[in-house]
Amino acid sequence: MNAARWEQIQALFHEVADLPDPAQRASLEAQCAEDPTLMTEVLSLLEQDARGDSLLDRDAAHVAAEVLDEGIPPALLDQTFGPYRLKQALGQGGMGVVYLAEREDLGSVAAIKILRDAWLSPDRRERFASEQRTLAQLNHPAIARLYDADTLPDGTPWFVMEYVEGVPLTEFCEQHASSIPERLRLFRAVCEAVEHAHRHLIVHRDLKPSNILVKPDGSVKLLDFGIAKQLDSLEGPVDRTRTGLRLMTPAYAAPEQILGDPVGIHTDIYTLGVVLYELLTGRLPFDLSNRTPGEAETAIIKQGRERPSAAAKEKSISRRAWADLDVLCLTAMHIEPQRRYRTVEALIRDIDHYLAGEPLEARPDTFGYRIGKFVRRNWQPVSAAAASLLVVVSLVVFYTVRLATARNAAVAEAGRTQRIQRFMLNLFQGGDEAVGPADSLRVVTLLDRGVQEAQALDGEPAVQAELRETLGSIYQKLGKLERADSLLGAALDQRRSLFGPDNAEVARSLVALGRLRVDQAQDEEAERLAREGLEMSKRQLRPNDPAIASATLALGQILEDRGRYAEAIEVLEEAVRLRRAAGGPPTPELASSLRELANTHYYAGHLAVADSLDRLILGMTRQLNGERHPLVAEDLINLGAVQQEWGHYQEAERYYRQALDITQAFYGPNHYKTAAGLTVLGRALRFEPHGNDEAGRLLQQALAIRERVFGKVHPQVASTLNDLGGVALARGRFDEAEALAKRVLAIYRTVYGRKHAFTGVGVANLASVYLKHNQYSQAEPLFREAIGIFTETQGAEHLNTGIARIKLGRTLLRQHRYAEAVGETLAGYEILAKRTDRGVSWLVDARKDLVAAYDALGQPEKAARFRAELADSAEKAANAAKRN
Amino acid sequence: MALRGIRTEHGLEGGELEALLGDRSALDHLFSVTYEELRHLASSVRRSDPNASLSPTTLVNEAWLKLRNSPRLAGVSRLHFKRIAARAMRQVLVEAARRRKAQKRGGGLAIATFDDAVAEPPSGADQLLGLEAALEALARLEPRQALVVESRFFGGFDVAESAELLGVSEATVLRDWRSAKAWLARELRRAS
Repeated sequence: MNAARWEQIQALFHEVADLPDPAQRASLEAQCAEDPTLMTEVLSLLEQDARGDSLLDRDAAHVAAEVLDEGIPPALLDQTFGPYRLKQALGQGGMGVVYLAEREDLGSVAAIKILRDAWLSPDRRERFASEQRTLAQLNHPAIARLYDADTLPDGTPWFVMEYVEGVPLTEFCEQHASSIPERLRLFRAVCEAVEHAHRHLIVHRDLKPSNILVKPDGSVKLLDFGIAKQLDSLEGPVDRTRTGLRLMTPAYAAPEQILGDPVGIHTDIYTLGVVLYELLTGRLPFDLSNRTPGEAETAIIKQGRERPSAAAKEKSISRRAWADLDVLCLTAMHIEPQRRYRTVEALIRDIDHYLAGEPLEARPDTFGYRIGKFVRRNWQPVSAAAASLLVVVSLVVFYTVRLATARNAAVAEAGRTQRIQRFMLNLFQGGDEAVGPADSLRVVTLLDRGVQEAQALDGEPAVQAELRETLGSIYQKLGKLERADSLLGAALDQRRSLFGPDNAEVARSLVALGRLRVDQAQDEEAERLAREGLEMSKRQLRPNDPAIASATLALGQILEDRGRYAEAIEVLEEAVRLRRAAGGPPTPELASSLRELANTHYYAGHLAVADSLDRLILGMTRQLNGERHPLVAEDLINLGAVQQEWGHYQEAERYYRQALDITQAFYGPNHYKTAAGLTVLGRALRFEPHGNDEAGRLLQQALAIRERVFGKVHPQVASTLNDLGGVALARGRFDEAEALAKRVLAIYRTVYGRKHAFTGVGVANLASVYLKHNQYSQAEPLFREAIGIFTETQGAEHLNTGIARIKLGRTLLRQHRYAEAVGETLAGYEILAKRTDRGVSWLVDARKDLVAAYDALGQPEKAARFRAELADSAEKAANAAKRN
Repeated sequence: MALRGIRTEHGLEGGELEALLGDRSALDHLFSVTYEELRHLASSVRRSDPNASLSPTTLVNEAWLKLRNSPRLAGVSRLHFKRIAARAMRQVLVEAARRRKAQKRGGGLAIATFDDAVAEPPSGADQLLGLEAALEALARLEPRQALVVESRFFGGFDVAESAELLGVSEATVLRDWRSAKAWLARELRRAS
């Protein structure tokens, strides 16, 4: 058929279509006498016209219902998602479907979110990735955590997050008939989670009770960051389209979301206000049920809000108290963003004031606006300033902002890699030991992919260098030092050729390489690089640039690793000073610099200093992260370690138990972090009378977790076996101790080879078992082997070398080989005396050995010298114990 | 640069669509929004929700409300926007149908019985793909009619809007719609 023919057919069709049947027939026959096909064509059209039942007579919506699947195609359900297998669907939204999944090896459950129809557009994929990035950045007990992420072979992305079993906030309060203060405390916990997100420049944008679950134990969890927004675009033009990407629940939408105005932390504050309103009164501030969407929007934008006190059924609290709640709630949900609380923290402060019966900071007269009168103002600068107060420049965010200013193409290319990095960096947050073999394998696969992508970015050498540096640092944390070396080296070369030899970027590369050299046991080179990088940063950057503070911190850590504590302390104090100079409230960066300083004091034996710093840091961490954050547990463990070193084992135990409690609540009973908490507590118990039994039980639990998570041959497993060896030794079970020590050594040899500091530790500990049981002929060659390994891998002056020599000395002493013994013990003694507090147990024991050896050798004046030192250190220890 | 997946027809080139929207990412974005709105529609159909508004008209209006403030859409008239949205709807649905069919084929061994082969009516996906093929054929015969169908069926245009879009009288739109519908229905029936 051609166009002319179609024209002819149509013309006839229209001519006869509305004629009654006999006339229609007659007309057709008359006009088609010469052309019978024309008649057939028109007749077939007339038939369809009369039926009126084709696809086109139905609604596109019904077609959509048939074509767009509900859920995920069955073929996808047979897939495994990393170590997870899907169990049942939990729910679905615009973006994806959420499934309950079980981790087969551990039996633990999690929620998996799968992007439905990923093919549709890059935009969708990016938004899904963005939710995942957001979760990866957030690490808070009241926010569902990201565990893992990847894509299926067909390109469908998925991620695993914490599964939360709970009921929506409002429902929970109704079920429990919670009092107003109870409701406020729950609400406060929600605010803390939102505050944490804001600290990372993330606005949730979809807060509502169904996204806030309360678990049976009364803890809250914030879910669904599906339309959360990273505020890095505050500097650039505001992207208004993102605001209303999908149907918001109108009842909780802020006026600016409806108007398409910029969204910021003020938006979440508004929505928190609405949630609070609902919690206090049992209903929403607006009755939108019988309104059209347009009317509902007008109500939110223009209508005044009824005071919660007037809407509430609850009359058990005083009028005065209600007046405060009115101010609190209506300040949060003020129509005009600039009249709301500036930060969630300010809102929390007022909740605290209310709960403590103190006057609020929000004053009724600042909110005494004319109801119904709505003045739109240009408040964007205000909100930008408020947000910048919260800016926490972490490496990752910093990196994102830098990328955001790079060319669009580069950003798009780097998007996936960024996602991986953020995810990775989060994985390693708070500890290097974090990754077990199964996971680390997956991590390496992802990283290798990242490296390939970095290579494809030839047109953007600056971004490429950035990626290489980040990837290099991650490989370093995974212990893939050669790979880290080549990536970090490439980044440095690239930056040098791009920016010249003397440049802030080059400086960052130097520092990163410096950190790597520590792991490669090239201490001098590490220090040289870090110093060069630091000096360069100081030349190139303004004195208050955060890069200088972080380079200073790096140098401090390197000096600490080298055992040069006095210098390290000086440098770390400078790092702390730089962090403080920024002014404002404590930041996580300040806390982590202080933590490093405290650690150095601890290793240097300045226990009292370490103790007071630890207390300061604990306060900060609680303020920054809340009471039940894993970092709080870490700080408690550090405090416990000081107590343990002081010999206050019960105090140490108390701290460790608190820490374990937090860790278990946060990570669950089967997590490797819990294993670490069990291990430190077990170690402390070993020193208490009758503590060995419980210590053994706890360590066995830790062992079971670690073997399951990491596999049987893993350094983490070796470390617990080592502690169990100690318990066995204390219980006088020599054979068991020997078997355990041999297993430890075998693991270290398998993992690290024969020439590695850890292998040295394994050898030395096996030797110590023999020494304890007077099997000197077996202990001696092992100690000598250990000393050889330590000297080669860590240096002749390293603490480990010193300790091993003291122990070798003791082995010789017990064999009455006094002259040889003195040689070893004295050498070890001098190494330790230079680097540690005079009161550490190894030095005290070394002095005793020396006294015994010199006495036996008939050198009473030398023996006397160490006797005097012994008395002196005993007195100091006694005084210190009294002070503390 | 022509847009992949947007075929040239009736004076609105793929490149023009792109120009209307400013850039490719804006179009992507529109696709996403359209898709999610379609899902909403689809699930209210499945739930037989009596309160849900089921027409593409509402859908396109929703999308317009959501996107009108976007700087990427500055200078795009509501009518042009609706025109693009209709195209997006068509494309999203057709692509979804294509995927659905592909999955069925790839979904392992089918247990086919004699009865199945005879009795199963053409699925929504089959019909939609049939319609797509027929629409393409119609566009070769009379591009304006294809556009009328696209704007009305996929975009929920009313007669006046279609007339304005195409610069013809409402009577012409009605005539085009009627004959095109009959022709497409016949093609669909022949194909199945």
